[in-house]
Amino acid sequence: MTKSAAGGHIKWCTNCLTMSTRPRITFDERGWCNACVWTERKKTLDWSARQLQLETLLSQHRRSDGSFDCMVPCSGGKDGSYVAYNLKHKYGMNPLCVTVTPALALPLGDQNLRAFVESGYDHISINSNYEAMRVLNKTGLIEMGFPYYGWLIAIHTAVIKLATNFGINLIFYGEDGEVEYGGSTETSKTPIYDVYYQKKVYLEGGYEKVLAASGLSESQLNFFRFPRDEELGRHSLQLTHWSYYENWDPYRNYLVAKEHCGLREAQESNTGTFTNFSQNDQALYALHTYLMYLKFGFGRANQDACIEVRRGAMDRQQAVNLVRLFDGHYPEEFIELYLSYYRMTLNEFVNVLDRYANKDLFEKVDGRWKPKYLVS
Amino acid sequence: MSNPKITVVDYGMGNLWSVISALRHLGCSPLTSSDPDEIARADTLLLPGVGSFRKAMIALQQTGIDQAITEAVQVNGRKILGICLGMQLMGLGSSEDGDTIGLGFINSTVTKFTFEEIGNNKLPHIGFDSVHSHSASHLFKNLRKTTDFYFVHSYRMLPSGIHGTLATCHYGIEFLAAYERDNVFATQFHPEKSQANGLMLLKNFLEV
Amino acid sequence: MLKKRLVFTLLYQHGYFMLSRNFRLQKVGNLKWLQSNYDFSRISFSIDELVVLDVSRGQRKLDDFCHALKELSQGCFVPVAAGGGVNSVDAARKLLRSGADKVVINSSIYNDIDFVSQLASEFGQQCVVASMDVKSSLDGIYRVWSDCGSVCRPGTAAHWINQLSEAPIGELYLNSMERDGTGQGYDLRLLDLLPRTMTKPVILAGGVGNASHLATGLADRRVDAVATAHLFNFVGDGLKQAREALISSGINLPVWGS
Repeated sequence: MTKSAAGGHIKWCTNCLTMSTRPRITFDERGWCNACVWTERKKTLDWSARQLQLETLLSQHRRSDGSFDCMVPCSGGKDGSYVAYNLKHKYGMNPLCVTVTPALALPLGDQNLRAFVESGYDHISINSNYEAMRVLNKTGLIEMGFPYYGWLIAIHTAVIKLATNFGINLIFYGEDGEVEYGGSTETSKTPIYDVYYQKKVYLEGGYEKVLAASGLSESQLNFFRFPRDEELGRHSLQLTHWSYYENWDPYRNYLVAKEHCGLREAQESNTGTFTNFSQNDQALYALHTYLMYLKFGFGRANQDACIEVRRGAMDRQQAVNLVRLFDGHYPEEFIELYLSYYRMTLNEFVNVLDRYANKDLFEKVDGRWKPKYLVS
Repeated sequence: MSNPKITVVDYGMGNLWSVISALRHLGCSPLTSSDPDEIARADTLLLPGVGSFRKAMIALQQTGIDQAITEAVQVNGRKILGICLGMQLMGLGSSEDGDTIGLGFINSTVTKFTFEEIGNNKLPHIGFDSVHSHSASHLFKNLRKTTDFYFVHSYRMLPSGIHGTLATCHYGIEFLAAYERDNVFATQFHPEKSQANGLMLLKNFLEV
Repeated sequence: MLKKRLVFTLLYQHGYFMLSRNFRLQKVGNLKWLQSNYDFSRISFSIDELVVLDVSRGQRKLDDFCHALKELSQGCFVPVAAGGGVNSVDAARKLLRSGADKVVINSSIYNDIDFVSQLASEFGQQCVVASMDVKSSLDGIYRVWSDCGSVCRPGTAAHWINQLSEAPIGELYLNSMERDGTGQGYDLRLLDLLPRTMTKPVILAGGVGNASHLATGLADRRVDAVATAHLFNFVGDGLKQAREALISSGINLPVWGS
């Protein structure tokens, strides 16, 4: 067992492979992480009560005059598509779907978004100020090890801006990552949350700092600003997660998106994992997960494997084999693209990676960070 | 084990590749031959086979390989292992596709499993099944008295009236799974498809 | 006593081995990858049969496939069934001379069921494995899809199964397109399509993620063998672990001496 940065020993969930290094993770007396405990609880949860809450919420917003009554931020990928599909076809809502164009969009992502739109959804693509996003992404990369921080801000701020402009007061995000994948369980019992929570958790409290340090003008930061409190107050905006009302199942989402929204998969596995059907929209995702790996010891393959274990598709030992084989691969194929986007030299870039690599977990071997621990 | 010379008979039927693979794995450099002269003069023979008895015998007769094998085995006393159809060909004859005469090394005829015999079981007899061997057997040395081997056949020999060291398997009826007598060895199952068990049996054959 | 079998299926396309999810293919690795992550000369001791299918979309190259087949079957001392686009006796013969013990046929059956007899009379009935890819249509009836799951055949799956149970095939490989690659387990309702007295061995496929799915399949008396093509889930010692779990739970699989 290796020491983590905090000085304790690292360990893995006894049911899936979530690591103790994950922020806000907790383990029960069996050694099950909170994501697995939640998965277990979801089996006996009274979903009908939550369904009722959903129906009540929707009926408060549902419009019969043809105007949009809710908003679904999406990327053309499985999760947003699933939510939009349900709202439209199962609940008779009229969603306006919105995508904040990521910085380095991938062709497959564009293709999937087009297929989604053409399968029958009203949709707006927000292209925020390119340079502003670039600067914010780069700042996020260097200051926080968050390579698409600018986009992460915009998928909250720009969405809210659009919603208030259209007079839409209900925004459905997909899953509550903290609850579903392990983290704070603050929102597991409350469906509606607010901007303050967004800032604190999803933007990891670094939002104000990063914007201030960016050197960007207000005219460039239009899409990166939350509406002022007075303005928000006027709109009674409700933010919520679909995963509160229905048992969140990423694989089911994939099957529905594939069947009804034209979703296509990549030809081969995505870097650092064994799946090919999620997160195909932007090249920076691979860097994000690689940094996550360096910081915490788990990457994309680990994430995907945990999802597979929780849905009963594989057992823990099978997951161990896959994670050992695929996790934490350096995104070689994107490095040139990253360097030209961030306008960094390879040296500068590598220094950033080095800064975020957790030295208790990794050691540099032949220029690459290799884990000192063995996933088990 | 020194590098034993074994010739695998190639008469156009049967999965030679697997058998050769297995022999190579055991340290042999097997030869394959469809030349009657070579076969007649072979040190040790292996007769594989998959498919129709009739077609096989026609192929053997047309090429003269049948006589070559007979010469090697019954005149020169060379060691031979027949596998699956190869074992059946060494019998007196078979009723598959109409009655055909075999090589006659084993004193038995080949007939089809009947549905009365096998009851609810399916045909062909495909899969791994337990073979009961005799303790005096050379082929089954170092293997348990009951061991699993891979079978794939619809026709079989019955053990009654045959002289030799026999191994049997039960599929509705007790049938002949393996035979050995003097220089003639045969298995209805495929040792080259039977994992570690089969490899051991092949090794035993080579070492006899 | 006849044992049940654990079958591993490899899906090949243009030199690579693939993972299939509802018949959409994901490239996993080439022969080298396969050999280093599966080492067939070792893992073949954990399976009872290997099936290798050329599922290449577009033009298939039989010679390349046969080459891969030869490599795979070397050192693999269990039965090997191979297929994919087989529509002639010559093609079948080529596979049989490249390491295959049995030939798997699919689309060619539904074009001309007599092809089964042709192969059977040439190579023997036990050499012919009839493969069927099944999906339920909107009316809930299971139908047969051929040509890599792209062409829906007239008639019901039940009807085709009946036809095949009377034809000179060695075995039936019954695959669920809906469960394929999902890791959700077998669609056991496929077994209800079988005639009450099915005289041919049945290999069930489509949907396995872990050993418990295999166990569920093997527990059904209508199933003679269970197959999985999940190239990711059984990587490393996955097959060995699965086999041990199955045997220790009392499932009747063959036992190897060493």
